[in-house]
Amino acid sequence: MKTRTLWIIWIAFTLVLAGGAFARLYLGGERTTFLPGETAGVHHQIELACETCHTSKPFAKQSKVRKDINKTCTTCHKEELKAANDSHPIKKFKNPRMAAYWDRIDARFCTSCHSEHQPEITLAGLVTLPGDFCVACHSEGEQDVRVNRPSHAGLEFDTCASAGCHNFHDNRALYEDFLVKHAGQPWLKDDPTHAGESMARARPRPALDEIETYLAKAAAPVAHRDAEVEVHWAASAHAAADVGCAGCHAPKMETEEEIEANWIDAPGEKVCASCHRAEMKTFAMGRHGMRRHPEIAKPRKAKSMLKRLGLKDPPDSAIAAIEAYLDDPSPAPLMSTAEARVPLHEDAHGLEVTCNTCHKPHEQDLTFASTGACLTCHSDDHSAAYEGSPHHALWTAELAGDLPPGSGVTCATCHMPKTVRKDTVTTNHNQNETLRPNEKMIRATCLECHSLEFSIDALADAELVKRNFAGKPDRHIQSMDWAVNRVDQPDEGANQ
Amino acid sequence: MGVKLGKIKAAFLSGALALGAGTSASAEGMEFQTVTDLLHLVMSSDRTVYTRMIVNRLAVQEGVIKASEHFEDDKALVLPAQMFRFGSEMVAEETDAFSYSLLSLWPINKQNAPTTDMEKEGLEYIAANPGENFYGEEELGGTTYFTAVYPDVAVAEACWACHNDHKDSPKTDFEAGDVMGGVVIRIPMDS
Repeated sequence: MKTRTLWIIWIAFTLVLAGGAFARLYLGGERTTFLPGETAGVHHQIELACETCHTSKPFAKQSKVRKDINKTCTTCHKEELKAANDSHPIKKFKNPRMAAYWDRIDARFCTSCHSEHQPEITLAGLVTLPGDFCVACHSEGEQDVRVNRPSHAGLEFDTCASAGCHNFHDNRALYEDFLVKHAGQPWLKDDPTHAGESMARARPRPALDEIETYLAKAAAPVAHRDAEVEVHWAASAHAAADVGCAGCHAPKMETEEEIEANWIDAPGEKVCASCHRAEMKTFAMGRHGMRRHPEIAKPRKAKSMLKRLGLKDPPDSAIAAIEAYLDDPSPAPLMSTAEARVPLHEDAHGLEVTCNTCHKPHEQDLTFASTGACLTCHSDDHSAAYEGSPHHALWTAELAGDLPPGSGVTCATCHMPKTVRKDTVTTNHNQNETLRPNEKMIRATCLECHSLEFSIDALADAELVKRNFAGKPDRHIQSMDWAVNRVDQPDEGANQ
Repeated sequence: MGVKLGKIKAAFLSGALALGAGTSASAEGMEFQTVTDLLHLVMSSDRTVYTRMIVNRLAVQEGVIKASEHFEDDKALVLPAQMFRFGSEMVAEETDAFSYSLLSLWPINKQNAPTTDMEKEGLEYIAANPGENFYGEEELGGTTYFTAVYPDVAVAEACWACHNDHKDSPKTDFEAGDVMGGVVIRIPMDS
């Protein structure tokens, strides 16, 4: 073959390949090619929705990029930081008088400590600085903690945030005056019940005659009636709240004809969310439901990308071809156990996480929602050790009627704690709020039954956590002793 | 003290300071010192009102509620110094056009000790020269700032009583009318 022909074939081949690659990346929205490194923790659930975090325009200045990323971090983490009474908020570091600190750790930007896509250097809590980061600012001058706190004189900086004494953001349960205020208490309270759980579980269940009344009111098209389902429903809170079959299966429909014509066999979570707004909101902030967060970037649509290229009315066949032959790797709307990166049971493979994964749609089954559903999937040491643990024994005793409501400790008691506000109980479905660092859990749950001292010690003992708190902590964290020694007037304010 | 004067394009300040029918034209040409003086007037007035009419009246004179650093946990009033700091942090979230803070040579909270040479110089100057302000220029993080330091004076018993009794207070003999610290206001001169 002539050299010229070879050149033509080579050029044509290159153009076709380049065109294919361009279409795949730009029109199809393929993103895995651009992923510079695995993301940390649960961020993998949204790592292919790049524009969720990367909102800056191309070629924007680095300072602008860092500010923009700050905004996207707080899209999801703002409420959490606010609730934590953040000890190092960005606003504290913006004042130019902090300029000398900017050169050490620039705490005006989230990415100074939390740099994504760097699995090789990522520590717990998505920290990408060496673990002794406190040394940068608290080792000299007025901020020298070894001078301000004689008890800290001989300490290194690698244990500040890892021993159970301090956190960078959340010190709600660890600040000095709080330690002093809660010192000297017995490890277990006289009346160990969780107030929110107690209120929720003490709700009267309908009596037999009430169930009969509800059953008589059950109304659904004949084809969809099911005696067992109806009995479960009549005993549930939905029946008591006058939410009938059509309320979920044919929302907003009134006449029998309308209900039959618009009947949905398996209503989606939007139907649940129309009433359970607070739960849905926290669910979308948490690890199970974060893909529903309204600020997650939407997948690229082939049609709009073609339009952006100048094709005003792109042919349907082209759109169909792009959608059929080019991958759309954008995250699926629901998280599935198949994608999970935490230890799960093999037979839970492929389950999607939505409302009725944990909540049976008709039967109100507290045990399943608060422990059974969790243990269907999770198989890590801590979860596997729950059954048979002291907390589980309390739950079993409560179910048997031997202990008052709120005594039993389920998975949800600690990981989806209930809060009471104005006599209304809400379950926080964002388990991240009490997860890591685990001291975040102290005020929301531990202190309901245990002393602060015991809680701090127990949470600092990783092996005890693995055994799901079977046994006593094998260590004592001295922070409370040091605080008590220094502060002899608990009513006085002190530095937080 | 001599003042280096400059021009500031601070249209938003005219509104914030309620300078009549303020427009960018009326703010144009205002001297840095005038701007910081006016800002300080608003700050110190609000601060004095909160200290005297809320904290001192309710917590000290009438004793109906406590004032506490942990105001949420203790269901108490926000301390006057916190009230001031929260305001300055809110401003920091909104703009880089000016910043302010309440500092002292004898801070209870160590983060309110001077961090720059000029802060130290200013705080020492206002402590040594009661009734006078301090003005200067300094470069921080590559930007030159007009920096003004105003004395913060003990205006109510709540001020000196708390500072004299606090376990972390480096000075415990404050009296009425003492300069306890200073308000530092900065405006970037380059913009």
